[in-house]
Amino acid sequence: MAITNQPSFDAPIPGQSLTAELGARPWQTPSRFSTVDDTIDYYMERMSSEEFMVQLTEVLESGVPVTSIANTIQLSSVMEGIHTVDVGMLVLPMIMEMLMMIGDSAGVKYETGLENPNKPILRDSAMAKAITEYEADLKNKDEVTETEDKEVEENEEPTGLMARRK
Amino acid sequence: MSRQFNAAREAYKRMDIEGFENLKTVKKPEKTGGLLTRSNTMSKETDGLDYNNPAVRVAKQMQVIRKYRDEINGDNEST
Repeated sequence: MAITNQPSFDAPIPGQSLTAELGARPWQTPSRFSTVDDTIDYYMERMSSEEFMVQLTEVLESGVPVTSIANTIQLSSVMEGIHTVDVGMLVLPMIMEMLMMIGDSAGVKYETGLENPNKPILRDSAMAKAITEYEADLKNKDEVTETEDKEVEENEEPTGLMARRK
Repeated sequence: MSRQFNAAREAYKRMDIEGFENLKTVKKPEKTGGLLTRSNTMSKETDGLDYNNPAVRVAKQMQVIRKYRDEINGDNEST
């Protein structure tokens, strides 16, 4: 797990869970589906609707990774009390596969989010900077070699029979 | 991209669709006597997979979707 040194301010404050009556929240009550099979059926039915597909295609086109969408869907279902966290974790890969299938069938170029997040991203600006630096380096080297050539030419002492004696 | 830990990424990467069929079924010792003993007809093993394992059920579903996805991608590449 990635550990960040920055403080997180979007976490609940201590004791926040005690601000409501126990069992008042949907996730504190028994979930609607308790088995993986029932949960899969629920997601299959939900994701098969045309409305969902259209919305998903738009989100995928905007560049949101599949992993984030799957995580959000799963977490919101837990919060609504549809299934438990552990069932959600088990079903997550299937949700991702389904999302990617919808993306593929719609012909959308989507981001899976499976790449290593710690891998440095090569940005266009960084690329442009590297190219300008390289060009400047090349220019400097050319100038240095030209001046060196001139110096060599100037320092070269004429040799041969007709050379002037010092 | 967010550098935060993403459970979906880890869960997807750890799901071994190709290898789950090699998982051995853990057989519990069967009870022989008693009226409430489960009969053999109730626990049908269709393809030798341990369907009591929820991960196997998910993997099976994923396998079907992946197959369908591969078909779609194959069609897209050929056109």
